[in-house]
This record gives sequence, C-alpha cells and structure tokens, in this order.
Amino acid sequence: MSGGLVWMLVALGLGVVVVRRRSLAVALVTVQALVLAVSAAEDNAAPAAVLAVRAVALGTLLLLVVSRTREPRPVRAGIAPIARAGLAVGFALALTWLVPAIGLESRNVERGVLALIAFGITAAATRRATLFQVLGIVLCENGLALAALGLPGGSSTAIELGVAFDLTLVAVVAAVFHERIFAEFGAGDTAALRSLRD
Amino acid sequence: MTSRELLALLVVSVPALAAVVTAAAPRAHVHVVATIGAFASSAAAAALSIVALSSPGSPLVERWVVVDAAAGLLVGVIGVVGLTAVLVTPAYLASSTTGLVRTERRPPTFYALVFFFWAILAAVPLVGNLGGAWLLVEATTAASALLVGFGGKPRALEAAWKYLILTSLGLGVALLGIVVLAAGSAHGGLDALSWRELGHVRSGHALVAYLLLVGGLASKVGWAPVHNWLPDAHSEAPAPVSALLSAALLPAVLLVAWRSSQALTPVIGASAAQSVLVAFGLLSLAVAVPFLWQPMAWKRLLAYSSLEHMGVIAIGIGYGTPLALAGVVVHVAGHALAKALGFYAATPLIGHEPRAAGHAVRGIGRTQGPLGSVLGISLGALAGLPPSPLFASEVLIVAGGFAAGRPWTAAAAAVLLALGFLGLAHTLLDTVAGKAPARDRGAPGLRGVVLLTSVAVPCLLGLTAAALWLPGSVIARALAHGAR
Repeated sequence: MSGGLVWMLVALGLGVVVVRRRSLAVALVTVQALVLAVSAAEDNAAPAAVLAVRAVALGTLLLLVVSRTREPRPVRAGIAPIARAGLAVGFALALTWLVPAIGLESRNVERGVLALIAFGITAAATRRATLFQVLGIVLCENGLALAALGLPGGSSTAIELGVAFDLTLVAVVAAVFHERIFAEFGAGDTAALRSLRD
Repeated sequence: MTSRELLALLVVSVPALAAVVTAAAPRAHVHVVATIGAFASSAAAAALSIVALSSPGSPLVERWVVVDAAAGLLVGVIGVVGLTAVLVTPAYLASSTTGLVRTERRPPTFYALVFFFWAILAAVPLVGNLGGAWLLVEATTAASALLVGFGGKPRALEAAWKYLILTSLGLGVALLGIVVLAAGSAHGGLDALSWRELGHVRSGHALVAYLLLVGGLASKVGWAPVHNWLPDAHSEAPAPVSALLSAALLPAVLLVAWRSSQALTPVIGASAAQSVLVAFGLLSLAVAVPFLWQPMAWKRLLAYSSLEHMGVIAIGIGYGTPLALAGVVVHVAGHALAKALGFYAATPLIGHEPRAAGHAVRGIGRTQGPLGSVLGISLGALAGLPPSPLFASEVLIVAGGFAAGRPWTAAAAAVLLALGFLGLAHTLLDTVAGKAPARDRGAPGLRGVVLLTSVAVPCLLGLTAAALWLPGSVIARALAHGAR
C-alpha cells in the first residue's frame, strides 16, 4: 500500500475529528472505508467486497439516522476544532512513539493505523454529539481494517466478515439508542447523559 | 463429530433456538415457552459442565472448539444464571412501566434478547480461537446493550450508551492486539490465532500485543481504571440482566484474557503474563474498596462489588498456582450465585421501598423479614463472611500468592479484601437491621426469590466444602495447564 494512500486515509480521519456537520463526517468515514476496499481489491477480492458492503451499509444507516433526527442547531463540542485537531495529532504522535514496530507491511501503514485509532478515540472523547461518538468507533475500525490489509500474509476474509458484522450490529444498536436519546432529550447530546455519578 | 463437540453445539444452539421461538411465541404463552427454553438450555449447559469437569485431564482442544475444565465451569455458571434470570423475569416485567419497545411486544422481545445474549455468551468459553473469541465478545456488546437500556428511562439510556461506546472502543484496542499477534505469526490467517498456536508467534511482537489485548479486554471485564461503564450499566439494567452481566458476562470475558495469558506465556514469559493480571486485579480492588464503604443504592453497591470480585479473580489467575486456581473456581461459582441472588432481590426490594432504586436504604429486615434475609445472605456471602465460599476462595487465592512467591502483592490483596469486608459488613448491618422508617408496601416477586435462596444456600455451603477438596485436585492442575 502506497504512503500517499495511507496519508489520504489519515487526512480523512482527521476530518472526522474537526468537521461540524454530522452528514459530512459520515461521508468522510464512508469514503475512507471505500478507499480501503479499493486498495484491498488489488490483492484479494473477498475482503475488499466485505469492506465495500460494510462501508455502504454503515454509510446508508448513519445518513438515515441523521435525516431522522434533525437537530435544531448542531451540538457544539466543548473543545474548539483546532484544539481537537491538535489533541488528535498529539495523541497519534504519542502512540507512534510509544508503540514499537508491530510487524505490518511498512512503518507507514503502522503509523496510519495508530493515527486512525488515536483520531477515533479523540473523536469519541471530545465530541458531545452521540453520532460523532459512533463515528469515533467506526474510525477505529477503519484503522483496524487498514492494519488487517497491512498484514504480511494478507487479511482473513472470515475475520473481516465477522468484524464487519459485529460493527454493523453495534452501529444498529447505537442508532436505536441515538434515536431514543434524541426523542427523550430533544438532541443527540451526551451532555444530557450525566446523571449517573458517585 | 465427537460427543463433546455435539454438546458444545447444543449449549449454543438451544438458547439460540429459544430466542427465535420466544420472539415468535403468542403473548399468552411467552412465559411458558421461555421457561421451557431456559430449562432446555441449562440442561445442555449442565451436561457439558459435568462432562468437562468430570474428566478435566483429557480436554478437547481443537482449532475452533475447546471443552476443558475452564469451559465447563463457565458454561455451568452461565447455565445456572441464565435459568434463574429467566425464572425471575416475569416479576421484573410485571413491575416495569416503561421500555424500549411497545408494551405488548415487551415480554417476547426481552426473552428473545436474553436468549440471544445467552447463546453468544455460552459460545465464548467454548471457542478455540482468539479471533473467534473477540468476535463473540463484541457480539455480546450489541445484545447486552439493548438489554441494559431496555427500561427506556433516561438513566437506563445513559448507562447503555456509556456501556456501548466504552466497551466498543476498548474492544477496538484488543483487536489491534490481535492484529499484532497475527502479524507476528509464521503462517498468518485465522489458524494462527487458535489457543494452541498462539504460543508460536514471534516474541518481538508478543508483549505489545498482549498488553493491547488485555488492556482492551479490561474495558469489557470492568477492571479499573477502565471500569466507568460498569456501575452505571449494572445498576440501571433490569435485575435479571444485571445478574447475567455481573455473574456470567464478566467472568466469561475474563476467561478470554486468561486463555490469552496462558497461550502467550511460552513467548512473553510467565512473569510478564501474570504480573499484568495481578496489577489489574489489585488496582480494581483498590478502586472498589472506598465505594464499598459509601452508602449507595443496592444495585450500585452490587456493581462495585463486581469490580472488587473481578479484581480478586484476576489476582487468582495471575498467581496461577493450583492453590490460587482452586480459589478462582470457587470464587467464580460462589460470586455468580450470591451476586445473582442479590440482583434478583432488587425487584422486590424496589417494590417494597421505591427509594432503593436510587438511594441506600436501612432496616429492610425490620419491615420485610424474608426480604431482609435474602439481602443479608447475598451481601454476607459477597462480603466473604464465613461460612461463605468467597471467604474460602479468598483465603486460597491469597495463600496461592504466597505459594507463587509474590508475598507483597498477596499481602496487599489481603489488606484490601479485609477493608472491603468491613465496608460491606457495615452496609449489611445497616440495610438489614438498621433503624427503619414505616413501610406498608408489599414486595412483588419475593416468593420466587426466597425459593431461589433456599436452593442457593445449600449450593453456597457445598462450594465452601468443595474449597477444602479442590486445591490438590485434577481440576486445579488442569486449569493451570490451560487450553494448550
């Protein structure tokens, strides 16, 4: 996998951390997964097909959820976009510094994987909107799909299929709860979910 | 297909079939259908458990399936907790006024989700492959999150959301560990991730992979410091679901961490593999103990007790000596019985004293004697009050620590356990025999819980007796050997 492709995936991931609109963020993770699928098709068609189907299914589901839960105004994150980007990049750099070589096909792929995981965790931790937290998980899973494609022996179709199924299942359940939270509180905002404390 | 493979298939397929049948059952018969499904599912689990535990020295270890002593123990526990959870469900459903689904669809949906969760959960200890285990653990998240939020109230939604997001992110980290292991294997593919083959990965990658894997799984086991979802989910879920989460799900995921530790020991060394588990265990104990001293709502207290007990089990498997592992067996089974009983008592408790849903309550034994007895038995057993099996198991685990040459961590565990005991003992006295306000409400569903308690007490005493016999047994030696 070329370095340019890896950095394109990373740039799309950083976009999810900073953009304001939910639909744009959904589009970014969907394009990211489709790029991964196209890249996988060069070596093995089966994992590529799984990734492509997962990308389209999740993109459709999440866009449907966005259209069914129109926010009167976007849920503001507590941290400004530039600060979120700084946090995400700092976290990614720290991870690549802390985690030694993990045996993927190139160090570029390894850095890309760690960056996407860092961005996913940052998105889930710093965004208040429920949908962005789900997108954080999807971003992590896209990073892990990149890691699977970067395995020296190639990825396993069975594992790709299982991970795609599980991720879709989690996304469906998250969509159910997002809609319910929206109905209950009038916004998909996790700031409303802070009553359970000790 | 061997008889053990057939049994493993039945253990998973019977509850899966029950999920389908209850979802489609007519409303008037859904409780009966669910009860039949629960007895059939637990009978399959009991059969496998008996077979696995009666011949622990000759386990079935294949690429995809493992039937060994550890699997037998966990499948047995899941069978017992699953059966009792279904038996107390009518009382929960009768007392619930809100839900994620329409009132008329609530019973079949709830039962179908419970059986679906049960089927996936039962497969976790039986799968012979780390990749498969991860997929199953992730699948439990989806089913159990729906059950946690089933009540549909804002607090339940909050708990379910936290559970879904935090455990999914944690499992993502665990999956990175699995990818690193796959990258370090000689021939790649799924076969390289079977428990038998994991010990052959290149050593350069194995320690990083193990840390990522166990760190990620910790979020699902509920080990500190990644336990934030646990008190919320266990306290806000319906009582039968809280029991399944605490008594069955947490130890089942813990087993995956344990199997990984045993499989990777030849590469990363026993000391590194075990130290990580002991560290998570001690940290969980240290975080849980202060909460056990605070007055808090009954189910929330039980949730912090789960954090404590998962810590104890982690310490036991971390020591890895036959003495400590005998303690782990007793602890997993005793904790499951006592904790399930405690959660089942929550439905009559909240019926009798509605404030108990969100606050600490006092003197239940003075206003509702049988309910006070159930609460006392459950909390006494969980605190490790002799003759509780958890007292015996904790003694075995601490002694196992000294036998393993880890006197400082064993001493620290003993001190933390003593502090936890004092905290829970104080709560026990207050909850059961403290000064009580006037209460005139009944305790819906109490008869069933008292009946279950009358069965559970001899079982708990039997486990205490088993603690005397287990340390030198073949089961303890087989557990120390693992699925290799």
